[in-house]
Amino acid sequence: MKGQHTMLVVEHDMGFVREIAQRITVLHLGRVLAEGGISENRGEPEGPRSLSRVKGVVVTLQLSSIDSFYGRSHVLHGLSLTVPAGQVTSVVGRNGTGKTTLLKTIMALTDHADGRIVLNGEDLSAKPTHLRAAAGIAYVPQGREIIADFTIRENILMGCFARRDGKRVLPDFIGELFPYLTENLDRPGGLLSGGQQQQLAIARALAADPKVLLLDEPNEGIQPSIVEDIERIIVRLNREMGLTVVLVEQNIEFVRFASHGFAMLEKGQIVASGPISTLTDTLVHEHMAV
Amino acid sequence: MIDVLFIGLSLSSILLLVALGLAITYGAMGVINMAHGEIVMAGAYVAVLSGIWLKTSFYVALPLAFLAAAALGWIIERLVVSRLYGRLLDTLLATWGVSMLIQQAIRLEFGLTFLGIHIAGLGTGLQNVAVPAELQGVVNIAGVELNAYRGFIVLVTVVLTALTWFIMYWTSLGMKVRAIIRNPKMAAACGIDVRKVNALTFAYGSGLAGVAGVMMSGFKGVSPDLGSSMVVDGFMVVVTGGLGSLIGTIMASGLLGETNALVAVATNDILARAVIFAAVILVIVLKPEGLFSFKRR
Repeated sequence: MKGQHTMLVVEHDMGFVREIAQRITVLHLGRVLAEGGISENRGEPEGPRSLSRVKGVVVTLQLSSIDSFYGRSHVLHGLSLTVPAGQVTSVVGRNGTGKTTLLKTIMALTDHADGRIVLNGEDLSAKPTHLRAAAGIAYVPQGREIIADFTIRENILMGCFARRDGKRVLPDFIGELFPYLTENLDRPGGLLSGGQQQQLAIARALAADPKVLLLDEPNEGIQPSIVEDIERIIVRLNREMGLTVVLVEQNIEFVRFASHGFAMLEKGQIVASGPISTLTDTLVHEHMAV
Repeated sequence: MIDVLFIGLSLSSILLLVALGLAITYGAMGVINMAHGEIVMAGAYVAVLSGIWLKTSFYVALPLAFLAAAALGWIIERLVVSRLYGRLLDTLLATWGVSMLIQQAIRLEFGLTFLGIHIAGLGTGLQNVAVPAELQGVVNIAGVELNAYRGFIVLVTVVLTALTWFIMYWTSLGMKVRAIIRNPKMAAACGIDVRKVNALTFAYGSGLAGVAGVMMSGFKGVSPDLGSSMVVDGFMVVVTGGLGSLIGTIMASGLLGETNALVAVATNDILARAVIFAAVILVIVLKPEGLFSFKRR
C-alpha cells in the first residue's frame, strides 16, 4: 500500500497535516495563499514565507511571575503562562479571579505590574501600552469599548495606529468576515447592536495586523443569534489566519471546541493548565461551579 | 445695534482662542490648567518685546507668540502636568503655582531687578503695543462703521478655528486627540502614544492662547496680571459648551461674548459680568454636561 495512493486531504489540524502530507496548499478566500513542501523539522516550514505566518510557528507570548495591582489591591500573584504560537489559549475561572486583569496586565493597563512579559523574544515588561500594541498584541476588551461617536470606519482605522508600517487602511478580509460593517462604514459606532459592536471591536483589533489577539468575554451580553457568528469568526481567525489567541471565556463548551490549551484561574493564580483535553469536568466543577 | 454685536463678536473671538486650548486639554487630559491665563499674558508680552527688541511689526508678533506660548505650554506639560495625570486637584494647584511663578517672573523681570538690571518691556508697568495704522481706522460695511482692529481679531480667530477644526477632524493627529478624549486607555491599546499626543495638544492649545494675548495687547495695556481673569472666562466657555465638543466651545464663546457686549452696552460692565455668571450657573444647574456635549456611552 505504501506510496501507492495519492491523497488530497482538506484539514484544519496542522499536527495531523504535518504527519501525513508531503505537500501543503493553503487557501484563503478562494485563492492560494501559500504552497510548499512539509519540512521534516516540525515548526520549520519551507516554501513561501507566508506559510510560516499561517502555521504561526514563530510567535509565543511568555508571562513569568506576574504580579499586578490596581492601586493597593493586589490582583495577580506570581502568575506564569505560556501562550503557544498559532494556538487558542483560553483563560477560565469564576468571576473576580483576575481573568480580565490578566489581559489588562498584558496590555500594561493596570496601575502597576511586576514580572516579565516576552513576545517573540522581545521583552515588553518595561514598555508602555502603545508600544505593546505596536509589538503585535491587539486587545478586544470586555464591554467592547468602541467609540460611540466615531463612525465604523474611524473605529476600525483607530486600530491601524499600532501598525508598524504606518499604513492606515481597512484590511480587505474585514469585508469578508464582517460584511455588515463594510456596508455601513459611515454609521456611528454607538448606533450598533451589542453583537455588531463586538464585531467592530474585533475588526479594530485586526486592523493592527496583530500577532496575538486578546479577547475578553467576546460573547458576554450579546444576542444568541450573533454569538454563533462571533464564535465562528474567532475559530477562523486562528485556524485560517494563524492568529494566536488568548480567550477569556465562561462558556466551557465553546472553550473546549475552540481552544488548544487552557489556564484555570483562582484568586489571581493559575490552579490548572495544559492541553484542552485535560480540562476535565471535575476541574470545571471544582473551580467554576458557583 | 450691529456695531454692538460686532464688539460682542470680537470679544467672543478672543474668548474662543483662549477657550479652545482649555477645551482640548481639559477634554483630552482632564487637566484644569490654571496657568492658561498666564500663557495668554506671555503672548501679549511677546508682542511688547518683539516691538521693542526686534523692532518688528505687530503682525510678526502673531507667529512668534504662537511659537513662544506653545514652547511654554510644552515645558509646563512636561515638567508639571505630565506627572500629575489623573489627579485633578493636584494639577489644579500645581498649575496655579506655575501661574504665580510666571506672573512674578515678568513682574520682577526674572529676578534681575534685584541686581539692578532692567529689561525694557517687562516689569510691573503698563506696556502699550503699537497697532499698525491700517488696523486703527474704521471700515465702512453696508453703512455701518466697524472698527478695523476688531475685524482683524475676528478674521484671525476664524482662520485659527478653521485650522483647529481641520487638524481635529481631517488629520491622523486629530483623530488621535479625539480618540484620547473619548477613551484614553483604549487609545493607548490601539497604539496611540498618549503622552506624546497630550504634550503636542497642550503645546498647540497654549499657542492659541499666545495669539489671543497678542490680540488683547492691541486694545488694552499689557501688564503682568492681564491673563488672570482669562482662565476663569475660558473655563466658563468650556463648561457652558460641553466637554470635548469643538462646536460647543465655538457656540458658547459666541453666546457669552455677545451677552457680555449687549448687557454692557445697555447697562454697564459690572452688570454684564454678573449676568454672564448667572447664565453659566444656570447652565451648570440645568445641563451639567454642557449645552452641546457629546453623549457618553
